[in-house]
Amino acid sequence: MSSRHAILAALAAVCILLVAAAPAAAVTFTIPTGKTDRCLECHSKPDLGAIEVNGVKKTLTVDQDAWHASMHARMDCTSCHTGFEAREHTPEETKGWYQQAKLTACSDCHSAEFKMYDKSFHGNLVMNEGSEEAPACGDCHGSHGIVDPTTAEFRESIPAVCGRCHGEKSETYLDTYHGKSVRMGDMSRAVCVDCHGSHEILPKSDPDSAVSSQNVVATCGKCHDSANSKFASFMVHVDRSTPHSSLWVWLMEMNHAVLIAVLFTLGGLHCFLYFYRGLKEGLYRRG
Amino acid sequence: MASIDSDVRDEGIALEPAPRVAHTAVGARTHFRRFTAFQRWVHFFIMVSFSLLVLTGMPLKYSDKAWAQTWMGLIGGVENAGMIHRFAAMIMVTCVICMLGFFVTILIRTKGHFWGPGTMVPTRQDYRDLRAMVSWFIGKSPQPKLQLDRYAYYEKGEFWAASAGVSIMCITGAILWYPEVAARYLPGIVINFALVNHSGGALLAMGFVVVFWHFFHAHLRPETFPMDKAMYAGGLPLEEYVHERPVEYERLVREGKLDDVLVAPVSETRMKIQNVVWWIITGAALFLWAVFCIFVVWVTYNWLISF
Repeated sequence: MSSRHAILAALAAVCILLVAAAPAAAVTFTIPTGKTDRCLECHSKPDLGAIEVNGVKKTLTVDQDAWHASMHARMDCTSCHTGFEAREHTPEETKGWYQQAKLTACSDCHSAEFKMYDKSFHGNLVMNEGSEEAPACGDCHGSHGIVDPTTAEFRESIPAVCGRCHGEKSETYLDTYHGKSVRMGDMSRAVCVDCHGSHEILPKSDPDSAVSSQNVVATCGKCHDSANSKFASFMVHVDRSTPHSSLWVWLMEMNHAVLIAVLFTLGGLHCFLYFYRGLKEGLYRRG
Repeated sequence: MASIDSDVRDEGIALEPAPRVAHTAVGARTHFRRFTAFQRWVHFFIMVSFSLLVLTGMPLKYSDKAWAQTWMGLIGGVENAGMIHRFAAMIMVTCVICMLGFFVTILIRTKGHFWGPGTMVPTRQDYRDLRAMVSWFIGKSPQPKLQLDRYAYYEKGEFWAASAGVSIMCITGAILWYPEVAARYLPGIVINFALVNHSGGALLAMGFVVVFWHFFHAHLRPETFPMDKAMYAGGLPLEEYVHERPVEYERLVREGKLDDVLVAPVSETRMKIQNVVWWIITGAALFLWAVFCIFVVWVTYNWLISF
């Protein structure tokens, strides 16, 4: 082989390597077009007003601090807001984008997550049934202030995020050892998504769900080594304040409430009257 | 305190003038041994472990409150608190096992101790004592002279309440410590039951047994204020004892057993050292009692406004 061939082969190898490495590099790859600065010329103004999307008012002013702290701080606005031109936007642009956004804004980069989401309960409602209440990506992750989902900050926020729609479930979760520990800063305990899944979430009645009767033992087994079906029948989401959730748990709770009320009253009276008589009759003044 | 003779005569208790005789007959052994060293050590370890259990458990029960989160941060987070809680639980379980062994021993050794005189079982006399006290409380009669044998009605009540409480807390605590093992033998709802009972039982134990009952009767009632030293000195002067437990005294004199339970008071130096140590502990206990009192009032207030 001549030296020229060797150089060509080496160049080819470098090219192949570069091409192969490109997808890995693409995650943080941005095009410094300066478009973002042009967007912020208008969208940093505090008095820009708001638009209504699905009945929710959204301000047109971009919270730059949140955006700079977010995962996407180095992305260009138009990477997500595709199709917008750097001028006053037409209604077609805006409306069109909101309809397209939930399809493409995130899935262009996060296709694996999007595929899972598409098949999930939430995804089905949004994508196929046109639900305006079910959450799309941004409803759980936020938009401009997207936080790294592997951080403790994100983990800590999960019960509240799920609780925005599933308030009752979030309340009962926070009444368990898992929930109490998480609220007190121990992030190693299970939060909603550890049992229910996140993008792939399905209702309990679906056999593929992580909490279906077929899978729940394995789900508990992720942390509890020797979990069996009886262990998994522990009721996480019990509202102790109502008999409708679990009659027996409620009865026990009421039993304690009555015991505490009666015994505290009787005990308190016994102490107080004893103390009062002692004071009144000078029994505390002894030599 | 007035002399024993006049006390006895005043209250009309049928007592021979035996006290003085017994008093001089035994020389330096002027104190009645109320608690043995074993009982005092068990009490000490239960006190320490109980405090640790409350301090590490309560913040988890009230995890949504700011004070609980601050306190949990101070003691090093949930993981740490859990470790201290389980360690303290093992101390308490050890105490309970020792006490059970002690009960079995005295029941085997002394026949009739369970039902007989000096029993821990509530009797008709306890009911009469309670009624006399209530009638004094509401101002219908002067302060009664209680006909107490070894244990007063409020001590018996506390003993049985604490026994029931500690049984429930041990069983439910064990289930919550090893839920997977419990689920091997019991249905999963038992873990739910354990959570409810451990949480409610803790509040009962702290509020009723400690705040309203034990601290008051061992520290704050007029006869013992600021504390009943018998639990650390072991004994109390015979004069006081005759005044406090007339029936037991009379019984022991009648059975000729008084000499067995008389001890010499601890030396003055030892008493001074003990006093310092125990005043520190009592100070801490009274401080905690005040905190618990505020806490119980707060819990009750929150409970009432929840309707």
